[in-house]
Amino acid sequence: MESVVSIQKVNKTFGEGTNNQVHALDDIDLVIQPNEFVSLIGPSGCGKSTLLRVIGDLITPTSGKITINGKSAHQARLDRDYGMVFQAATLYDWRTVAKNVQLPLELMKYSNDKKEARTREMLALVELEDFDRHYPWQLSGGMQQRVAIARALAFEPSILLMDEPFGALDEMTRERMNLELLDIWGKTQTTVIFVTHSITEAVFLSTRVMVMSARPGRLIQDITIDLPQPRNADSRENVRFFELETEVREALRQSESQKHE
Amino acid sequence: MSSLQLPAWLKSSLYFLLIVIIIILAWEGYKLLGDVGGKFLRGTAQVRVGEERVPGSLCQSIGLCEVELPVRSDDRAMPHVKDMVVTIFEPPRRGSEVILLNILFRASLFTLQEAIAGFVIGGVLGFSLGVVFAHSGLLERGLLPYVVASQTVPLLAIAPMVVIWLGGNWFSVAIIAAYLTFFPVTINTLRGLRSPEMTSLELMHSYAATPWEILWKLRVPAALPYIFTALKVSATASVVGAIIGELPSGIADGLGRVILNFNQYYATGPERLWASILFASLTGMAFFLIITLLEYIFIHHQPADI
Repeated sequence: MESVVSIQKVNKTFGEGTNNQVHALDDIDLVIQPNEFVSLIGPSGCGKSTLLRVIGDLITPTSGKITINGKSAHQARLDRDYGMVFQAATLYDWRTVAKNVQLPLELMKYSNDKKEARTREMLALVELEDFDRHYPWQLSGGMQQRVAIARALAFEPSILLMDEPFGALDEMTRERMNLELLDIWGKTQTTVIFVTHSITEAVFLSTRVMVMSARPGRLIQDITIDLPQPRNADSRENVRFFELETEVREALRQSESQKHE
Repeated sequence: MSSLQLPAWLKSSLYFLLIVIIIILAWEGYKLLGDVGGKFLRGTAQVRVGEERVPGSLCQSIGLCEVELPVRSDDRAMPHVKDMVVTIFEPPRRGSEVILLNILFRASLFTLQEAIAGFVIGGVLGFSLGVVFAHSGLLERGLLPYVVASQTVPLLAIAPMVVIWLGGNWFSVAIIAAYLTFFPVTINTLRGLRSPEMTSLELMHSYAATPWEILWKLRVPAALPYIFTALKVSATASVVGAIIGELPSGIADGLGRVILNFNQYYATGPERLWASILFASLTGMAFFLIITLLEYIFIHHQPADI
């Protein structure tokens, strides 16, 4: 099977040749297969968001090779292979919920009928059918983030890039959103790359957790999460869940100690 | 919550009316403070009793003599509000049937048209400059200092130049009004176009949106609240610009000439100049309200209500 993401020896240095040069990514190698759910976890400032943006062609790497669906990351972006979700919902205040979901469809010149149909379908998927005419600021944080997910999936991108999407939500909303995301992932068969600070969230959602070390950002451990699928609220009480959480925590601690050497 | 629920527009109109009444009372109250000549505080200056001049009562009793008022309160410096209103409904010239209201209303409308033309020209120019500067740091650094410098030259010096170049006509006046209008629009458009957060732009890039699409679907909608703030400033400024522009242009139909005329004959009818000032400010306010209404239509669904 052809890999969705293939990264070889990718480096990123910000402000190269200046006094505040920052080596953000160091020799990253990563291969992601279709329909994987891969989490990137690491201490703050370790470059996980940078790696996500390098994959999404929002940041150009200093060196190395990135192949997305058999082509360059740049071509993949032009082909609209990426759906992005950020920590802030990043909805446009002057557009209704429905119009926000339609934004990518407008840019991709969908016909009106298809646009409307797709919007209805997506809002149903995130259970916000009745809120299509609301404005973003009339919704709660969790609902806004669901709109953002609907918008990201509206044009059926093959890769969903998520940068701490639930980082600003309270614990209870976050757990509910995790379940909903798994449900959506199961229905849409997308490949997900998910940046998070939360060990629990990473283990619960992912098929693989990539642990990164702090500056310069390196991938130091690749942990396969072999919890049974589909997962539900009970998965969090599975003994294996705690073992895997411990494994990720140990790896993170190791990355911390490396930093202090 | 108050028991009486009035619509917001009615409430602000009532407040406005209240302020008008307070200003009128303050005006007339100040006039009461002055003595006959309007120069001194009542009771502190000499008064004539029959053939004699005697000191005022306050001067006699507590020694407060000849206290000068900061502004003379006589009918020449400060005509009665009643006279200003009455004069509006009288013909200003002997042997003419046309009442002042008619003249002022027509002049205001004429000036407003010039102001609107100048406002549109200045608004389009200001917006375009803002768009250009937002996309090119090089042009911004190169041209913005000239834009700022243009505003340090007094309008009174620019206006005759424009008239010499373009002739003493209606269009010159619009250009002079535009000169006052474009600057706030440029500055605020630039600020507004740069207001979207990094992630909003990244979102657009992830859709491979073109710069044109980013401009119209993200930057301009995000800039609208900023642009309307500038347009409200410009609306009133364009009326001032038009009135000043009418003077060197020799245009006789607008408020500029009316104000100049009544200024020259101030001694014989000060209330007419005051009535003209009232109409000039009403014209500016009318334009301001038009823009506020447009703003409400365009961005009433934004979270921050105006």
